[in-house]
Amino acid sequence: MTDLLDVHNLTVRFGVRRKGGMFARQTYLTAVDDISFTVRKGETLAIVGESGSGKTTAALAIARLVSGVTSGKVELEGRDILPLDRDDLKDMRQKVQVIFQDPYSSLNPRKRAEDIVREPLDSLTDKSDPEKREIVDQLFKAVGLRPEQKRLFPHQFSGGQRQRIGIARALSTQPEVIICDEPVSALDVAVQAQILNLLRRLQAEYGLTYLFISHDLGVVQHMCDSVAVMYMGKIVEHADRMSLFNKPLHPYTEALLSAVPSVDPRLRENARRILIPGDPPDPLNLPKGCRFASRCPVAAPECRESAPSLDAVTPSHRVACHLVEGETSPLATLSAS
Amino acid sequence: MSEQTVDAPVARARSPLSEAWEMFRHNHSAMLGLALLSLIVLAAILGPMLYQTDPFDMVWAPFSPPGEEGFLLGTDYLGRDLLSQILHGARVTLIIGLSAAIVTVVIGVTVGALAGFYGGIIEEMLMRFTEFFQVLPTLLFSMVIVALFGASLPMITFAIGIVSWTAVARITRSEFQRVRELEYVMASRASGATNAKLMFQVILPNALPPIIVQSALMVGSAILFEAGLSFLGLTDPNVVSWGQIIGSNRQYILEAGFTVTIPGLAIFITVLAISLVGDGLNDALNPKLRKR
Amino acid sequence: MAPLLKVENLRIELATRAGVAPVIDNLNLELAHGESISFVGESGCGKSMTALAIMGLLPEGIGRVASGSIQFDGEELTTASPRRLRQIRGNEISMIFQEPMTSLNPVYTVGEQIAEVLRAHQGLGQKAAWAQAIELLDAVQIPNPKSRVEAYPFQMSGGQRQRVMIAIALACTPKILIADEPTTALDVTVQAQIFDLLRDLRAQTGTSIIMITHDMGAVAEMSERMIVMYAGRKAEEGPVDQVITHARHPYTSGLISCVPHIMANLTEERHDLTEVPGIVPGLSEFGQDLCLFAPRCPRASDKCLSARPPDVPFGSARSSACWHAEDL
Repeated sequence: MTDLLDVHNLTVRFGVRRKGGMFARQTYLTAVDDISFTVRKGETLAIVGESGSGKTTAALAIARLVSGVTSGKVELEGRDILPLDRDDLKDMRQKVQVIFQDPYSSLNPRKRAEDIVREPLDSLTDKSDPEKREIVDQLFKAVGLRPEQKRLFPHQFSGGQRQRIGIARALSTQPEVIICDEPVSALDVAVQAQILNLLRRLQAEYGLTYLFISHDLGVVQHMCDSVAVMYMGKIVEHADRMSLFNKPLHPYTEALLSAVPSVDPRLRENARRILIPGDPPDPLNLPKGCRFASRCPVAAPECRESAPSLDAVTPSHRVACHLVEGETSPLATLSAS
Repeated sequence: MSEQTVDAPVARARSPLSEAWEMFRHNHSAMLGLALLSLIVLAAILGPMLYQTDPFDMVWAPFSPPGEEGFLLGTDYLGRDLLSQILHGARVTLIIGLSAAIVTVVIGVTVGALAGFYGGIIEEMLMRFTEFFQVLPTLLFSMVIVALFGASLPMITFAIGIVSWTAVARITRSEFQRVRELEYVMASRASGATNAKLMFQVILPNALPPIIVQSALMVGSAILFEAGLSFLGLTDPNVVSWGQIIGSNRQYILEAGFTVTIPGLAIFITVLAISLVGDGLNDALNPKLRKR
Repeated sequence: MAPLLKVENLRIELATRAGVAPVIDNLNLELAHGESISFVGESGCGKSMTALAIMGLLPEGIGRVASGSIQFDGEELTTASPRRLRQIRGNEISMIFQEPMTSLNPVYTVGEQIAEVLRAHQGLGQKAAWAQAIELLDAVQIPNPKSRVEAYPFQMSGGQRQRVMIAIALACTPKILIADEPTTALDVTVQAQIFDLLRDLRAQTGTSIIMITHDMGAVAEMSERMIVMYAGRKAEEGPVDQVITHARHPYTSGLISCVPHIMANLTEERHDLTEVPGIVPGLSEFGQDLCLFAPRCPRASDKCLSARPPDVPFGSARSSACWHAEDL
């Protein structure tokens, strides 16, 4: 399979104004710091992380939806999309669509469902009106909404149905890549399953590629083919699904996995619960070494001195930790000794 | 697969606007305000046609009390028919109120929208500009304008508008800042919307409710402002407005109080009606109150 | 020993635009001293409303206890005076909420807010209350409590704010702590810290905990017993481990299997998640004499649509309100 999306050294910085009015000093917050990854066609890459990890910013930067001092390259089918403007950007927007997190705020309350779904068609394509109607009808069917509901307004739908409208909108231009930004985190558990199944069915049907942003490791485990774990703007570990969940290497990944409450009593009894203390560092004042060092249960002096690079352990497994030796995690080494 | 297990009939499409009207309709004080206001507007439109006495004609002895000689509201200090003056004045007063509010909204929404949408240095400049107008003593500034450029109706309207747009600008800016951050704005951007489309077709309609409320109340305060200016004599002597009636009769307030009280009452009732409607709009357009 | 909290045939009615709806419909439950139970269900099932009723905090003029009783330590709460309820709230039953940012007052320091509770409920003096506040911050494991006591809520992270909320809730060593989705707004690693803290504090103080959640994993970690609620009614009740391994109500099994749980040994194969179709019915449909879950239930039969299923006991600790409970 080919690489559809190729992200090289993507960095996103925001100007943050300190208090003091018109002549305030400007500082920069690096929300995404030099991340690189590739996504193959038809696959799902999940980006996992906690709040403030930069996962959403990274995804929105790839969709050209954040304004920030951005460097690096985002190649879609071999073409860098960051410098595009006007017509080329239109072309790119057709190929990259977004499903948003909050189904309550992601639909314009003053538009009818059908108008919401066809908005990308109106702005991005030259299709005729009957063609657009036809597409909207098909999309309503594909996402499990009834055609009679087309004329309704967003507030007349339930949360799950609204998210279906959002999905139909993202599908309307037949995109290559869909960025799913926490698509189920605002939904009730029973409705989550409906939407996740729908997303997987649509992926199989249309050969879609997903960039799936989530903080919920259970959902990620179910949806992804590979996972990138982010912490404070950096990717700390990136691996295929099996390796990441069965053989996590970075202490943060391990802590994250062990923190998820589980219904499986075996998992609960066997798990070494790794409690990481404290809170993440101040993003405006990052430490010079590894960003996780302040909370890491195995941090060594070198971790506070220099930042580790994201190195390949196996061809499909990269990790950024000084203490990983071969394919053994530092936490396993610790408990063995 | 789909969410509908039971094939319930699909609800009728209900726009947010029709729901707001539903809410407004059940608000008694708002409906009372609307009824009063309709009555006043009708009187202003039809009154002068049906009651053809010229407001500038001296028809009877000055200061004849209401009811005498068939003059329902009596006569003023020159013996002119007060009822006719009130009816003709209603037109002028309402037109000044409305057009001053329009001036206010046009300036306020433009400044507020640009500031709220673009942020940064544009916002800083525009808000400093707004603050400059905010700190001017309003009555004094409008008096200066009218005194300098003449007391014609358009100039009075402009003078009122130019001193009262800041509130609208501030509300518009904060609404734009709020709506700008909502996901559907980003969704429109992802769908390829231009900045102009985002501002006027996506954000503005959703930012409108508090702006509408503010503008409705603006009509009321513009009427009061005009009354204030007329009272001070800064008015076009060739047209009748309620404020002008009060202003011209003010020396005789002790001998013939009704010449001042009657136009005063007219202003009071109109502004009250507008406030009631404004409050009703506020409730009806507030999505939080609509939920239950 | 008599239960600490006993709720019998509780019916709470909520006035809506469409009429009066029973948000809680004939609910029975017991909570023992030192026990930890969970209320589980989707939003709109009456979990939070039950908690508010216990606290005597039903939305005024809108919600009311229509019938039934809530007995706390032998004392009837539904007829208690507002004054008595105020004494009980915060002193003997306290509550923490989902959003720790909005439940703290932004204009007072956290120390002032904790000390305020101590002064109001325990009659402590200014100095004693302040010293106690520092101790409480230490108890909820906030680093440098002596300096953090002067911090304002916005100067703290979400996890720390939730710790402060817990400190306030535990200030008067209550007999019951109600935690309404206490970690929904927090990251998983912080959630793990908060759960750990709650477990520790419970072991130290013997406080009973009622946790409200939709996360079966959290239930399994935190509670001995759970009550599954659906549309204002109790669907199933029982010890957590038993219910999770063998649910006696289709809604419970739906809630468990619709969530993709982290698996110990991941395999390549992936199945579709089990769906619970549809959504929780609106308030206007509550209170009918039938099984309200039937429209979403894979096992629904005519009987389910003709009469409300009673609570069928299974052994001494379990019950299920399903016509098909025996076959599950």
